[in-house]
Amino acid sequence: MEWQEVVIRLFKNKISLIGLILIIFFGVIAIGAPWIAPPSDPSEPYMVPRAGWGFEPQPPSSEHIFGTAEGQYDIFYGIIWGTRTAFRIGFIIVGISSFIGILVGTLAGYYGGWFDEVVMRITDIFMAIPFLIAAIVMTTILGQGLRNVMIALITFGWMNSARLMRSQVLSIKEEEFVIAADALGAGDFRIIFKHVILNTIFPLVIEASMRMGSMVITASTLSFLGIGAPEGYADWGQMISFARNWILGGEGNAIKYWFTVVIPGGAITLFCLSWNLIGDAFRDILDPKLQ
Amino acid sequence: MKRSSILILVLSMVLVLSLTVGAFAQVNNPNTFTKINMGTIDSLDPHYQYDNASSEIYANIYENLIMFKEGDITQYEPLLATEVPTVNNGLIKNDGTTYIFPIREGVTFHEGGTLTPEDVKYSFMRGLIHDRNGGPWWMLYGPLFDAGGLSDITEQVVGVENPSELTAAQSAEVYAELDKAISVDGNKVVFNLPKPNPTFLSVVVHDNGLGAIIDKEWSIEQGAWDGSPETIAEYYDPAKESDPLHEQTNGTGPFMLNTWEKGKRIALDRNDNYWREPAQLERVIINYIDEWSTRKLMLQRGDADVVYMDKQYQSQVENLDGVEFISGLPNLYTGYGLMNWTIDTKGNPDVHSGELDGNGVPSDFFEDINVRKAFNYSMNYDAFVSEVMDGDGQQARGPIPEPFLGFDEDSPVYTMDLEKAEEHFKKAFDGELWDKGFEITILYNTGNSMRKTASDMLKYNIEQINPNFKINVRGIQWASYLDRMIAGKFTLGFIGWGADYADPHNFTVPFMRSDGTFGNFKGESYKEWAKENGVDSLVNKGVEVTDREEREEIYKEIQNIAYEYATDLYLYQPTAHILMRDWVQGWTYDPILHDGIYYYRIYKAQE
Amino acid sequence: MISYIVRRLLILPIILIGVTLLVFSMIMMLGPYERLSTYIKDPAELKNVDVDVLVTKLGLNDPWYEQYGRWISGVARGDMGWSESAGSTVTQAFLSRFPATAELGLLALLPVVVGGVILGVFASVHHNDFWDHVSRVLAIIGWSVPTFVFGLIMLMIFYGTLGWFPPSRLDSWALDIVNSAGFINYTNFFIIDGLLNANFAIVGNAIRHLVAPVITISILWWAFIMRITRSSMLEILRRDYIRTARAKGVKENVVVYKHAVRNALIPVVTVAGRMVLGLLGGLVITETIFNIKGLGQFMAQAAQQLDYPAVLGGTLYFGFLLILINLCVDVSYAIIDPRIRLE
Repeated sequence: MEWQEVVIRLFKNKISLIGLILIIFFGVIAIGAPWIAPPSDPSEPYMVPRAGWGFEPQPPSSEHIFGTAEGQYDIFYGIIWGTRTAFRIGFIIVGISSFIGILVGTLAGYYGGWFDEVVMRITDIFMAIPFLIAAIVMTTILGQGLRNVMIALITFGWMNSARLMRSQVLSIKEEEFVIAADALGAGDFRIIFKHVILNTIFPLVIEASMRMGSMVITASTLSFLGIGAPEGYADWGQMISFARNWILGGEGNAIKYWFTVVIPGGAITLFCLSWNLIGDAFRDILDPKLQ
Repeated sequence: MKRSSILILVLSMVLVLSLTVGAFAQVNNPNTFTKINMGTIDSLDPHYQYDNASSEIYANIYENLIMFKEGDITQYEPLLATEVPTVNNGLIKNDGTTYIFPIREGVTFHEGGTLTPEDVKYSFMRGLIHDRNGGPWWMLYGPLFDAGGLSDITEQVVGVENPSELTAAQSAEVYAELDKAISVDGNKVVFNLPKPNPTFLSVVVHDNGLGAIIDKEWSIEQGAWDGSPETIAEYYDPAKESDPLHEQTNGTGPFMLNTWEKGKRIALDRNDNYWREPAQLERVIINYIDEWSTRKLMLQRGDADVVYMDKQYQSQVENLDGVEFISGLPNLYTGYGLMNWTIDTKGNPDVHSGELDGNGVPSDFFEDINVRKAFNYSMNYDAFVSEVMDGDGQQARGPIPEPFLGFDEDSPVYTMDLEKAEEHFKKAFDGELWDKGFEITILYNTGNSMRKTASDMLKYNIEQINPNFKINVRGIQWASYLDRMIAGKFTLGFIGWGADYADPHNFTVPFMRSDGTFGNFKGESYKEWAKENGVDSLVNKGVEVTDREEREEIYKEIQNIAYEYATDLYLYQPTAHILMRDWVQGWTYDPILHDGIYYYRIYKAQE
Repeated sequence: MISYIVRRLLILPIILIGVTLLVFSMIMMLGPYERLSTYIKDPAELKNVDVDVLVTKLGLNDPWYEQYGRWISGVARGDMGWSESAGSTVTQAFLSRFPATAELGLLALLPVVVGGVILGVFASVHHNDFWDHVSRVLAIIGWSVPTFVFGLIMLMIFYGTLGWFPPSRLDSWALDIVNSAGFINYTNFFIIDGLLNANFAIVGNAIRHLVAPVITISILWWAFIMRITRSSMLEILRRDYIRTARAKGVKENVVVYKHAVRNALIPVVTVAGRMVLGLLGGLVITETIFNIKGLGQFMAQAAQQLDYPAVLGGTLYFGFLLILINLCVDVSYAIIDPRIRLE
């Protein structure tokens, strides 16, 4: 199936259309951030401005329409600029780690033999370290900051794609057109790229679209542990981590600080949801037997 | 339709239920006290431990010669001694260089031994030999030997720098030197000081684990120092894991150890053979839970009697049913911004260009008094006290916190005054700084919101003064924070110091003296400055005179120097608070134990 | 199959050494003063420290191979070293924390897998109609709400308001029984120990404390299992033999639940196997909120404090588990689907 057809089908499917609309909506916010929430210091637009120096979150008001989080960080600003962060985290981590995975998996699967054995044992080594532990150690070493978080998540995030790709390649390697191409003397590179990768990449695209959303959640876990983005950086994961100690409210009012949870939580959920819907739709469209 | 209405019903039930927390009228578990704390206990060895969580445990299991009068850290009461030495009762002699403690009779240890003066001497000697790196013993080496630790003595007596390398003969020589300080005379234990020292009693008092008395025979059986003069090398600076008293205890105090599940929970049982009236509580349990909301719910349910709370959540607990929140308690702590006078600029991203060219700061940035003053004038002290600390606590007036000698509420302090800051910035580096501007990164350790806020305030104010001034605030992990301080790469960052013992000397040394903990991190030019301008000798003089008024003058002068030269950015003295069930009775605040509680007098009853 | 298992086990030590080398080299990227932070956790502890003496004493300045050699030769002797963040030996720290995590993780596995499979089958049967969308959206919401938000709300409802399911592993009275001499701790799994000691009050109490965290974990992971089941089911339901069965007039229920589900479970097993590892190592937040002192929380803390004996010990242990679990997964393929041969 050609990719143009995939896109057309994506738009035709009701569910994926909702997903696409959501993504486009977030995309517009991300692009329009400087106009929707103008930064006070253009050299550091990702630093959320503080409305004061106290700790207690303040409810929405005309000045801060989503209220302020712990430390008086403006939630509205954080959500708007955090959209950019979410896209960046998603695209960079998923993009690079999938690329590494595809490369490793394809080579291992295509060449097989001892090369495959060595590469897959290295993959095992990376998989044997609990993901969270590896990410913590790595960010502790590299220092706090979004860039370092991304490096850590990429370093320990490529193995699943590699395994998936390898099994795909293994199953397609024996198919006739690949054997034929080999017999016709097409170079290794051309065979790999033209026949193998292009024919096996779709499951990976599905997986990648799912991971887009969950990377934001992973980043929020890291923020919870105090090793995510620097404090005050516009990042949804951090915005919701600010709510940690206020979720249960106070003074007999359990939902006193609802805005600290619901607003960033809503953003994360919608973001995840939209990627997942698209991923599901992809699956339905690309599954040849469904036609 | 039917299914979705069930869904709605469930959701609304959940919402209603989540709004209320069950409350209790009667006292839960009247004989068991449950405290929920944060962090972990480091060690149960009273001579090894040096942190808040451990000292609370020590204070209930072990006892010292004397203790503070309840609720008053300026007066002493006898504990294992029968009298507090004073000049009047003749137990302080020879111009304050001899302290005599008559030892109480009929006191038994938890494991059955009887307290003797020999035990007292053994306890101190064991600790002095033990002197672990990073441990508390420097506090006693000062008054007893005018030294910083065992290695100073070994170097002085036998010329060996590392006590673990002593031969048996050298060890005996060193031991003879240590032995001079403490002797047993009948039922009395006598301490001989090289010169009068007003801090001595405040160091050996209860609350400070190094003065804990252990049972000599029992300790030797467990494998602690064998009492021989020749074995110093073997027992010096032990590793925690090989310390025999790390996880077993034998004290004379009102409680004894039941179980210690490391990192999780500790349970203490009442000592029914206590030499005074036994405590009212049968059992004390301290749990360690890091999640604030979980602690709060346990308190609300009455499953906990006291829970640890960070100050910033006080708005959540002020009006809770059955819960008492007491704040505004004195806290012997000074929080301040450490400015490194000689920043190591090599490979240091925080100084940017590392030169006075508008794109960085030079190594001697903070050596310029005008820069320091300008920073001091740029801090929003009022907002810090009223907003960050919710109005509790106060601006620090120098290294010495209230109520120590030298603290004077009329002394001059910096206030936020951006015009004066501008004036000083203009004078700094002969005006060059003002024209060129600078860029600097100041640091805080991640997770500490108070310090982050203080840094943000500086950034906010200073960047207003001149568009060429640029301050970045960067959070780094404690590991890097530590590394940067030791390596001299620190620029400016907030840090603090809490009291080990109740004397201003405990604050002037680390903050001001050139070889103090923070003095070490303030760079070479600070060290030189402190030596040349008599700061070091003034700090030392503070413990050489014993007259109260004379001391007060010295400490006032030190406070004044800190102000006059803007040596640092003194920011705040916080208050302490406690959060407990209202059925907790008999609690008094002890600023040295701080968050720790002395459970002897506590009981539970609804009033 | 035996030779396959043997071969996998022979590779085990190579992987374990590789894993520990990888982690160790990461930690060694830090300077000795930075690694000192494991031992000095607070500015107050700087009071009387001679940092250089401490660095020498701990050997932090030695070349990395010496430090690694020290550690690995200790492990070879059965000594995993001392964990500063736990305040005990690494072995002790793991032994006291593993049961807590394993009890929670294994107990949660059942509702996670069963619930997820039911949801997935439900969604696939209703493919592309209203109920499919509703169940998917709900599952994704469960997946994307951060654990601590959901966990705290659970705690609030079931403990704060109703008082049914308190945090921690046991009540105080039960802990006293467990710690007393009359109670033998065979495994430190309180449920199993309670049964072995015939003390059903302990069993009940332990289960009571596990309900809320298990619910929290289940809701989080349902989306995960559900997705796999759903797509696997959709694929199977189109296969020829299912069509044949339908054509032959076999009842739809029998087709779905007898023929399709069984076959759709293969990928679920793979994922569930990998999830066990995630459950054992990744419960940091659930453990923190429900005060279950387990491995996830401990490892996260050790990693943050750069407590390398604990981190390396943990890596060893998890690497070992991973390989065992992979082995189990491979073997169970062969059992579920006899056509699969292990190479």
